[in-house]
Amino acid sequence: MNSNLRYLLFVIPAIVYVGAFAFYPSFDAVYLSFLNNRGQFTLDNYKELFYFNIYGTIYDTVIVTVGALLIQLLLGLGIASVLTREFAGKRAFSTLTIIPMGVATIVAAIAFSFIFQTAGGYANSLLHLLHLPSVNWYSNTYISLLVVMVSDSWKNTPIVTLILLSGMASIPKDLYYAAALDGAGPVRRFFYVTLPNLKKFIAIALIIRGVSEFNIFALPLVLIGYHPPLLTTLAYELYSTTTVNLSSAAAVILLAFISVLILLNIKLGGGERR
Amino acid sequence: MRFLYIAVVIFAVYFLFPLYVLLLIAFSPAKFTIESLYPPLIFKEFTLNNLVYAFTQYDFLHPFIKSLSVATLVGALALLLGIPAGYGLSRLPGSVAYPLIVLLLVTNMVPGMVVAIPISAEFIRLHLFDSVLGLALVQELITLPLATFIMQGTFSAIPREIEYQAKIDGASTLSYFKDVLVPTALPGIIAAFLISWMFSWDEFTYAVILSPIHPTLPVEIYVNITRGNELAAVAFSLVFTVPVVILTLLLQKYLKGEYLTGGVKA
Repeated sequence: MNSNLRYLLFVIPAIVYVGAFAFYPSFDAVYLSFLNNRGQFTLDNYKELFYFNIYGTIYDTVIVTVGALLIQLLLGLGIASVLTREFAGKRAFSTLTIIPMGVATIVAAIAFSFIFQTAGGYANSLLHLLHLPSVNWYSNTYISLLVVMVSDSWKNTPIVTLILLSGMASIPKDLYYAAALDGAGPVRRFFYVTLPNLKKFIAIALIIRGVSEFNIFALPLVLIGYHPPLLTTLAYELYSTTTVNLSSAAAVILLAFISVLILLNIKLGGGERR
Repeated sequence: MRFLYIAVVIFAVYFLFPLYVLLLIAFSPAKFTIESLYPPLIFKEFTLNNLVYAFTQYDFLHPFIKSLSVATLVGALALLLGIPAGYGLSRLPGSVAYPLIVLLLVTNMVPGMVVAIPISAEFIRLHLFDSVLGLALVQELITLPLATFIMQGTFSAIPREIEYQAKIDGASTLSYFKDVLVPTALPGIIAAFLISWMFSWDEFTYAVILSPIHPTLPVEIYVNITRGNELAAVAFSLVFTVPVVILTLLLQKYLKGEYLTGGVKA
């Protein structure tokens, strides 16, 4: 026990740091969100959020999260499946699939802002080449959100791929041999062996990415600005144009949603680790 | 097998296209890129003028120095806090270590907005607003858990017997750390530093809120794009991206699913 205490001391600085810079500000945000300019208790900040269409903002944030997760999961499954096979050029391909991880979010945002420009964009260039009509990428909320989802998926699919790959590596090869002996082709092996054994890894990937998706900020800021706003861009807009208290209220709404995901993650991870 | 290669080609094009677009804009005359209604998808003409123009007309140096100093400090802090924490976690029994690991994981999930908005008010009071130290202290939140997990994994692979042996030979805790543990764990330490450096180099949310006056490079790129200096934004983006892509490829081994899921398999 004595030596355990000694080992615990090594961890204390990190814990103190985390307490000061992650947990204290979170409580501070909640506290500030219930204060008015003169430091008195009030609920007005939350009431005021309704003028800024908070329900619509939450709805749009959920749409982006779910949509981006779906795209990333499908692409991640596809790429991970390819990477479990042996073929010439596999090393080069596996390197390629990791590159977006090294590209800063802001750089990805700028690249995609050139691709999805309504006049002079590369996506429309491609459509023009195929003799298809041009698309106004910002003509309505859903297309705008789709642009955000697609751009975000480019940047973040590699993380999902890596998690799924480590899951696929943990599936015993014998299961595949047995399934192949029983006459299952590659497609059926994928649905009856790979997917069921990946369930936990898919859930983890979805939660980890879901948290980040809710926090998505630089991409929508560059691609769609504040129209439509997401929870993060709304909080930032309020921060730069109104009070710390009002923007804290918007941030607290964001925190409430993330907390649910954090609890889910702990529950799912519990008992599995170690 | 043919389907496999079709899939490989489609995915490859998908991953390369955005970067290709940046290269097109950076190295083609503007009339073929940002000034054209349907910009051509291939190089029509090659020029270096855009880059020369961007780096002579816009301030690259100051944001670059700021980014460099913040990222280096973040890396150093990650080692200062992460090496002991990773060591402690690797030696503690699971029942004690597990809640601490969960705590670090939760830290990683607290939204940047929620941290940044109240902390900006505190920082103004403490004169840390817009400073290198202030930004580094907050960005550390993103990298410390990852650095700690990498160090924990590294130290777990070093058998305890070495520790007992060193004790018997009369080594103090400090000299054991300095002469035995750290040199053995060096590859993990370097990876933890570089990954922390990289996360800070790319970070945007904290940087734009806590250091808007003397911005880091990502924020400077954002400012340029909002002001319509598209060529400067693209040129800076390229220079900014090259070191990180190289680092990512070098560190592939450490960017494994196990670490990203917070040691689910550990």
